Amino acid sequence: MTSEIAIHTEDLTKHYGDVKALVDLDLTVERGEIFGFLGPNGAGKTTMIRTILDEIRPTSGSASIVGLDSHSDSVEIRRHIGYVPGDLAMYPNLTGRDTITYFANLRGGVDWSYVDALADRLDADLSKKVGDLSSGNRQKVGLIQAFMSKPDVLIMDEPSSGLDPLVQREFQALMREVISNGSTVFLSSHTLSEVQRVADRVGIIRHGKLIALEAVASLRSKGIRKVELFFDSPVDASVFEPLPGVDDVAVQNHHVTLSFSGQMETLLRVITDRYSLVDISTQEADLEEIFLTYYRDDANEVAD
Amino acid sequence: MLANVFVKTTRDRWKGVAIGVAALASLLFFGMSVYRDIDLSVYTNLPEVFLTLMDIPKDADVGSLAYGAIYGSYGTLTMAALALSMGSASIAGEERKGTIGLLLGNPKSRVSVLFAKAASLVLLLGLGSLVLWGAGVASAEVLSVEIGGMHVGALVFHMFAISIFFGFLAMAIGAWTGSPGAASGATAGIMFISFVGAGLFPVIEGWENVAKAFPWYYFNGSRPVTNGIDWGHISVLFVGIAIFAVAAIVGVNRRDLKSQTVAVTLVDRLRNNPLTHAAIDRLAGSARVSRIWIKTASEHQGLLFVIAALMFFMMGLMIGPMYTLIDEAMAGFADSFPEVLLSLFGGGDMSTPEGWYQIETFGMMAPIAVMVATVVIGSRALAGEEENRTMGLLLANPVRRSTVLLQKTLTMTLYGFAVGLATFAGVAGGSLLGGLGMSIGNIAATSLLVTLVGLAFGAFALALSAATGRVRVAVFGTVGVALVLFVLNALLPFNDSLVGYAKISPFYYYLSSDPLMNGMHWGHGAVLTTLIVVLVALALVLFQRRDLRQTG
Repeated sequence: MTSEIAIHTEDLTKHYGDVKALVDLDLTVERGEIFGFLGPNGAGKTTMIRTILDEIRPTSGSASIVGLDSHSDSVEIRRHIGYVPGDLAMYPNLTGRDTITYFANLRGGVDWSYVDALADRLDADLSKKVGDLSSGNRQKVGLIQAFMSKPDVLIMDEPSSGLDPLVQREFQALMREVISNGSTVFLSSHTLSEVQRVADRVGIIRHGKLIALEAVASLRSKGIRKVELFFDSPVDASVFEPLPGVDDVAVQNHHVTLSFSGQMETLLRVITDRYSLVDISTQEADLEEIFLTYYRDDANEVAD
Repeated sequence: MLANVFVKTTRDRWKGVAIGVAALASLLFFGMSVYRDIDLSVYTNLPEVFLTLMDIPKDADVGSLAYGAIYGSYGTLTMAALALSMGSASIAGEERKGTIGLLLGNPKSRVSVLFAKAASLVLLLGLGSLVLWGAGVASAEVLSVEIGGMHVGALVFHMFAISIFFGFLAMAIGAWTGSPGAASGATAGIMFISFVGAGLFPVIEGWENVAKAFPWYYFNGSRPVTNGIDWGHISVLFVGIAIFAVAAIVGVNRRDLKSQTVAVTLVDRLRNNPLTHAAIDRLAGSARVSRIWIKTASEHQGLLFVIAALMFFMMGLMIGPMYTLIDEAMAGFADSFPEVLLSLFGGGDMSTPEGWYQIETFGMMAPIAVMVATVVIGSRALAGEEENRTMGLLLANPVRRSTVLLQKTLTMTLYGFAVGLATFAGVAGGSLLGGLGMSIGNIAATSLLVTLVGLAFGAFALALSAATGRVRVAVFGTVGVALVLFVLNALLPFNDSLVGYAKISPFYYYLSSDPLMNGMHWGHGAVLTTLIVVLVALALVLFQRRDLRQTG
């Protein structure tokens, strides 16, 4: 296995009794990319992360990080990673600085000037006891301990929870910087806007299955647009639904929203033949809509 | 809503009470069946002072012996401990978990929540007491033991009252401080001192009345199993309960609720003081977190300090001079002590200082003290980090699971030896103070053996913790197993055909060789050490294989 691959899983499967938390997950994350791992609550994101970190053991399949087996080389792997667990908890009676010192000792040392620089950028207070910090400020300590060792791979589970928008922006800048220095970021999130802003590629997981894997750029280039139409009289949804490229039709009296991929002219021609169009607005769909589109497809598949 | 808090608390807690009551009921049955088969005539010649101390009525028979030994001591301690744990968790527990805000977000007052928790405590302890009463009568019936004239119900009622007394005391302390640790720690300390004091002072001539200062006196001072309910004593306990209830209501209403309890310790204050900042910061900050085992040790230092101090002063230093006070009373009875009987209480011969120390300190208190330290660390070592959700973060560093486990085992071992050392120093000092002339080497040997037996149960808790990731399972599992093995070791030797089976209990390898008289039994020490090593190895295997838990 080449070291060009940061994270690799093969048929990774995890069952909890009858619950299939992960099903045959095949995933490859390249070195130097920010990979967004998207899915709703309970989709299996955290299970996947905990499995590749050897916290829990796969029912079948295997995983590797920087070419090392996630079970047999788990200790060696942890020299290469920084980790922010989801729903972060730390030792309430230790201060932020004690916490950092503890983990630094377990790693055999840390560059304190870098720690201070990180604390400065994220506006973190390391002198207070962790238990006395608000959840956002606690999260900052979690981020610092993950970034401080300048790891090859950063694995973060919902890392921006509780952070205010300014700190979120700083955090995103930080991610881009470490990427430019050759690190890899694996970012699990349900905050689509965040992933859209920073990620190079996204994987979408649902019910433990990877249902989509695409570059953010190519997702956007699918050209799905969100279209809003206003008419001078009430309209009927059945007119829009059969049109090629049209999806997500919602009709409210005079007002229609739909998503559309294809040439706008074809849509307009059909509509203006039937109704009198008062106003139209269109915008590029964000990942959320693309995401929902995937989910509906997936749901249909299951129904079939 | 009140019903919901009440129902939820009851639902959360009934299992612990049910397990405790079931264990006690079966122990009573077992104890009674053993007593039934032995010759009780040995009791008739016993000195009164001994009977008083051991809570055995003069006209001892099978029933009163069983009720006294099982219900009167272990039983009441167990029930009071259950009440204490519920009481200390009532408001303070919700604060530590951070759920109090959510709970009080509903249209309910602090006092109504407190009432619901208190009602649940009284209900569960009341039901438990009823079951113990029934089991006491039924055991005698099944085993055809004559208990005419004996008041099992009165004993159980006194037991209920003293349990609620300590439960409400813990609730009041928790209501004032918001710290479940302070509530359970202080109450357990008071209970412990009270148990020892009420047993000790009645034996010492001229000091009998001092016993009345201890709440435990109002549980068994009137011998309820023989004399029935003593309403005077019961009303003393109920007045105490009422005072604690009022104190809890006042306490919970007067202070700010905590969102998550982070204790401000003396060390924190010193750390913030500019004069001491530099030195303390090194000690409490960078030194404390330099290794996993040091950090673990720092987390329970308060507990260790209290236990070590209790063993050193109360159970060590003070016991020696007391022997000189009762020496006279004891002198004449040396020959009248049947050996078989004494083994029940650790085999001590009260006419010698060694026997005195064995009964007062080493027989029961020393193993309990070492076990509290080792079992707390052993059960929290792995499961505690999992339930607090810090294990994932800890293991994201390049350390093996086995390293974490072994470092925490090291902390547990050091704690066990610290309590053992405090016991040794206290007893050796007490012997010097009282001029008892006991062998220092033999005291050291006994202290070493008690440390090893405590570590064996700590290692058992560690293995349960490693296997399940659940603190409660580890604690209750270990306490239950230890209780059964302790009683087995005490009672099996009474039956000639079962005497060999006492060897399955680790406690057998502690006092059966009479180390205070005979010095170190290296073979027994080796058995205990082997057991510890095997249990830690088992914990390693179990912990390596398992999926870590994420939530508590």
